Amino acid sequence: MFTQYEIREWVRIEMKSAASTLGSVYQAEGIEALINSVDTLAKASFENAHIYQLLDQDGSIVFSNIPVKLDDRLPDKISAEALHLTSDVNDELESYWMRADQIGPYRLVQGSSDHVFAEILEALGYALAAGSLVVVFTGLVIGTRVGRLTERRIVDISKALSDFSGGGLEARVPIPKGKHDDFSRVSRSINLMLEKTRRLLESQEQISNDIAHDMRTPLQHLRQQLEKMQNSKNLSREDVTASLEQTEEIIGTFNALLRIAQLEAADQRARFETVNIAHVIANVVEVFEPFAEDKGISLDTHIKDEAVTVFGDRGLLTQLLSNLVENAIKHSPSSVNVEISAGLSLTDVFVRVADEGPGIDPADHERIFQRFFRGERSRSSPGNGLGLTLAKAIAELHGATLSVSNANPGAVFEVRFPIQ
Amino acid sequence: MRVLVVEDDAETADYICSSLNALGHVTTHAADGKQGFLDALDIDFDVMVVDRMLSGLDGLTLVKSVRGAKVETPILFLSALDGLNDRIDGLEAGADDYLVKPFAFSELSARLTALARRPPIKAEETRLRVADLELDLIRHNASRSGEHIPLQPREFRLLAYLMKNADRVVTRTMLLESVWGFNFDPRTNVVETHISRLRNKIDKPFDTQLIHTVRGVGYSVHA
Repeated sequence: MFTQYEIREWVRIEMKSAASTLGSVYQAEGIEALINSVDTLAKASFENAHIYQLLDQDGSIVFSNIPVKLDDRLPDKISAEALHLTSDVNDELESYWMRADQIGPYRLVQGSSDHVFAEILEALGYALAAGSLVVVFTGLVIGTRVGRLTERRIVDISKALSDFSGGGLEARVPIPKGKHDDFSRVSRSINLMLEKTRRLLESQEQISNDIAHDMRTPLQHLRQQLEKMQNSKNLSREDVTASLEQTEEIIGTFNALLRIAQLEAADQRARFETVNIAHVIANVVEVFEPFAEDKGISLDTHIKDEAVTVFGDRGLLTQLLSNLVENAIKHSPSSVNVEISAGLSLTDVFVRVADEGPGIDPADHERIFQRFFRGERSRSSPGNGLGLTLAKAIAELHGATLSVSNANPGAVFEVRFPIQ
Repeated sequence: MRVLVVEDDAETADYICSSLNALGHVTTHAADGKQGFLDALDIDFDVMVVDRMLSGLDGLTLVKSVRGAKVETPILFLSALDGLNDRIDGLEAGADDYLVKPFAFSELSARLTALARRPPIKAEETRLRVADLELDLIRHNASRSGEHIPLQPREFRLLAYLMKNADRVVTRTMLLESVWGFNFDPRTNVVETHISRLRNKIDKPFDTQLIHTVRGVGYSVHA
């Protein structure tokens, strides 16, 4: 059976791990990500089950889901009245266990309601007070069961957290089907945070692997050129130019990798606005048209609805379209069409770029979006192998999907944006 | 040009200043944000280069303060920060251009020259002229030696940008940004093909070439 003490300990551990996870979010991504995560947690906490308040150095509120500012000298336990909290759904809000942590220059104050635990204790209390053996017996059975179930779930949570911190990035708190209690809510918030942390860690790891994989070779070339110049008696201008070009290429690859990592880890859309896709397409077509014409390729645009809009970042959407159109031109034989179409379906806004090139091996349909993947056919053409990865990352930031299919002849790239 | 360089990395500052001096420009170096702020208020510069991450007063605050003090000198941000919103943050703080490190000096120099204050031109400038080439911005009409040259809208916009910056060098990335709003660089030769189309109409039928290629840097329109 649970005692007040055990409950308090559990609540403390839970708040402590939340604070430490939020701390790593802050370190990796900064204050905006921290606020977002706290906001997510607060939203996942219904009926005032949890209090979150974030204060800056000056003690001003950065985020709070309660109307009052919490004092710095926190007692362990605060009554709901003192916090001016009332709940329509639940009149059993009694008190909160509190905890404060320092995250960088910010102070995170958390509170967890004790009403769930109070309910359990109350049920047991009634049973004992009734004095009837049967009732006591039933009460004990139920109580122990509830206790065991509760304990089980606490163990699940702490196991998931310790597995995760031990490197098992896939560890999640199991949530029993059909349960909609506070445990499930807490578990869901924890899982959300674990998922976010996993994404951050993996994108970090991915970028270091990629740098090792594809930066060493061009750096090696650069080094060779410089060594050659060091050893030669007369410095040739061509060699210097070649080294500078090599440097430009390395910077280009590096920038693209960074941008992809930023896009993959980002979930803030503060700069999004309503963007007319037809305008973006017209602009990209204008830029590429002479280049395409020189290859004997014509760019045909079919816009089914001139007012087709998506919610997004104009610059990034331009880059997405530009990468797809560039890719289509590169892989088309001369004297063919590249067709760019956009329109509205029942469920989404679509943009398609279709070429009449050799198409893409179905086995590669997933892989072409991976970093540095270059199909056998494109090995000979220039490019850093990041264009489609970048395009996909941009699409995903917009909640859109980017996929490829074959049209015989040619490949069709399709972006589907959710309707606003 | 008189250029204020606010940069706390001594090596970069020295590289920028000595390269600008070699081109005949006068530079003042401020090694931190506070000094940069004081210099910006004290002296009348044609253009300022401000590093985004400075010790003491950071670049963003510096630019905001300078603008707050009603100093309108054009400012170029130099930054190692290239996150999704860093550029917009920089421009919103009051800077006029944003260049990400590592950069080529030719790019910096071209952008500074384009930014630098010029002798005040008539605000209502409706005609651009370079030698015998004339552009009427209102009627969207181009002519050379009095002879009308039919241009597509995209060619017109490109030529207008080049002519507004006549006698200066304009880089490919400047063209991509200003003419088409591309804040990234497609690896294909899109800019080159646009220029070559324009040349066929503007230069080819005539004796003197007006659109010049500056090797490894960009283009320049001059007689």
